[in-house]
Amino acid sequence: MTTAQILSRAQEEKRTVLTEIEAKQILSEAGINCTPTVLASTKEQAVSISDEIGYPVVLKVSSVDITHKSDSGGVKVNLADKEAVKQAYDEIMTSCKAYAPDANIEGVAVQGMAKTGTEIIMGMIKDASFGPVVMFGLGGVLVEVLKDVSFRIVPIEKGDAVDMTSEIQGKKLLEGYRGQDPADVDCLRDMLVKLSDFVNVTPGIEEIDMNPVFAYKDGAVVVDARIILSS
Amino acid sequence: MMELFFKPKSVAVIGASGTPGKLGYVIVNNIVGSDFSGDVYPVNPKSDEILGYKVYKSITEIPAEVDLVVTALPTPKLTVATMEECAKKGVKAVIIESAGFSEMGGDGKIFQQQIVDIAKKNDIRVMGPNCSGIVSRDIVTSIYPMTKKVARGNVVLLGQSGLLAAGMASDIVENESLNINKVCSFGNKCDVNENDLLEYFGNEDDVDVISMYLETVSDGRNLTRIAKKVAAEKPVIFLSGGRTEAGARAAMSHTGSIASNAKIVEAAVKQTGMIMADDFTELKDFAKVFSTQPLPKGNRIAVITLAGSVGVNVSDLCASHGLELPKLAPETTDKLKDMFDTPVSNPVDLYFSVTKIGFTKTLETTFPDAFKDANIDAAVIILAGFEYTQEAVQKKIIQKIVQEVGKPVVVCMIVGYNRYKNVIMDEMGKDLPVFPSLISGVKGLSKLCEYGIRQQKTKA
Repeated sequence: MTTAQILSRAQEEKRTVLTEIEAKQILSEAGINCTPTVLASTKEQAVSISDEIGYPVVLKVSSVDITHKSDSGGVKVNLADKEAVKQAYDEIMTSCKAYAPDANIEGVAVQGMAKTGTEIIMGMIKDASFGPVVMFGLGGVLVEVLKDVSFRIVPIEKGDAVDMTSEIQGKKLLEGYRGQDPADVDCLRDMLVKLSDFVNVTPGIEEIDMNPVFAYKDGAVVVDARIILSS
Repeated sequence: MMELFFKPKSVAVIGASGTPGKLGYVIVNNIVGSDFSGDVYPVNPKSDEILGYKVYKSITEIPAEVDLVVTALPTPKLTVATMEECAKKGVKAVIIESAGFSEMGGDGKIFQQQIVDIAKKNDIRVMGPNCSGIVSRDIVTSIYPMTKKVARGNVVLLGQSGLLAAGMASDIVENESLNINKVCSFGNKCDVNENDLLEYFGNEDDVDVISMYLETVSDGRNLTRIAKKVAAEKPVIFLSGGRTEAGARAAMSHTGSIASNAKIVEAAVKQTGMIMADDFTELKDFAKVFSTQPLPKGNRIAVITLAGSVGVNVSDLCASHGLELPKLAPETTDKLKDMFDTPVSNPVDLYFSVTKIGFTKTLETTFPDAFKDANIDAAVIILAGFEYTQEAVQKKIIQKIVQEVGKPVVVCMIVGYNRYKNVIMDEMGKDLPVFPSLISGVKGLSKLCEYGIRQQKTKA
């Protein structure tokens, strides 16, 4: 489905929360690299999709009613083979149905297991006065505790993206710290500009989280994404 | 459209009064005291003549066109009625100075909405309510008495603060401490807002520096667009009041929960190239630096002092404000070798030179030799308010050298007897930025360097 189709379907269904699969489809269409993520409605589908993507894989519950996927037991990572996928599928269904009995569960999102990189958060919110604003920061503890992030008003230019990645306190971590690979900052800047370009021409989006994004020596990939639409 | 506010050909004052001390009197008297040469129409149903002007019972009774209406009426209800009269008369610009509107909540909000509705329907631009309007050479609508003519300077102060066009403006005008062009206080900004004014003054050739105070941002997206354009041409100093860290939204995303109003405003300031001020004094201080000093090419500072400890303190402050203190070039060290007991370094401690050739001569020769050094972009000069400084101040030695060398300076003075210190602050302060603390001087200069470097990058 295209971005327009996803947005109009959500509108028809009167929902403001997109699934991770929808969010990644939209971001991919905007030119932002996301881990391949495909919906499986049955256990058999989950296995065949996993075969196609290649092991290890991650299974995440796909439901617009369950936003805290980990808390509901809806996430299983590092699944090495068919058997592991089958078992994970059953466990997710059991656990999520117990966690949210009324939730409409469409299946599981099967995605490739991205190798760990420098953990980044990117996002967007719509401010009542300034309109869309984009955010960049280091993920994990640094964003949770220190709120070490930078913002810019949309639309941003390349130079603004350079400033965004340069003004965070923890910028040294992007350069490679204690033997870790440096992050492909240029690629991250491109992603910020693409995110800005996308929200600048797409009305109706209230918030976007790309968290985490894994940044490598070459390239970066969005591992989890969330999009909230305006009501 | 903004021309009607700042360059009207005729002005009516509603609620004008013949009683000295009353607001309606001060406004008329301020207009009379300015260079305003158009027609003045005081309006008051109970008077016949105010300050030599014929008084009209109502706006509609005025026999000619009225460009600008200024009102300072006691109740919001009367103000709304006046708006209706303005609409009938075909007036296109109104300054409402009275309070009692949206800032009060409740009925005040309703009255303000009525004003907005009348204005929209009749194409009237409204400044205020709850403001003190304009202070300029051409017209003064402030409710605060001005004691002198306003300068025809190059600085504009804008803001959501009555203080700006009242106490602060009259202080600047009386003391000639800032080369002001206009002060404009727009209060609740029910119509005319910062974007209108920023755009207007951005295009005014005689305005070189804009200083702005806001408590709310009317339209941030447009502000970002306009400020970016204006700040590329001239410095825009910005003080944001009521900044809050609380995320003003019940966000579903991580991003939303971190994005506080304060962070977004800060981002807009960085993105547009505006200069962030942290208090009211800095609105003036930074404007003083920017309006009197050339832009530096870099951030390499010479610290000129007569006291070692002060030099050390200024060096530390420079470091924490992104300024560098480079070594002077060998040519300079060589040229000045007789004026220092040990080879000259930075901070440049003039003490030895002063004992050798005296203070005035030192300022005339040793100081410019160090200041001209190719490694130096700007200087912090520390003076003391004692008798020996008086001659240098009277002869305007520092001003002349600064002019000649063409690099920016700030002057700091932390010690001295008032009878000398005040003269330096007042007299030298007319030409140069002179500060009573080291940190305010260093901070002002650091903002100038930041802007200068940014300008060089964008123009390159």
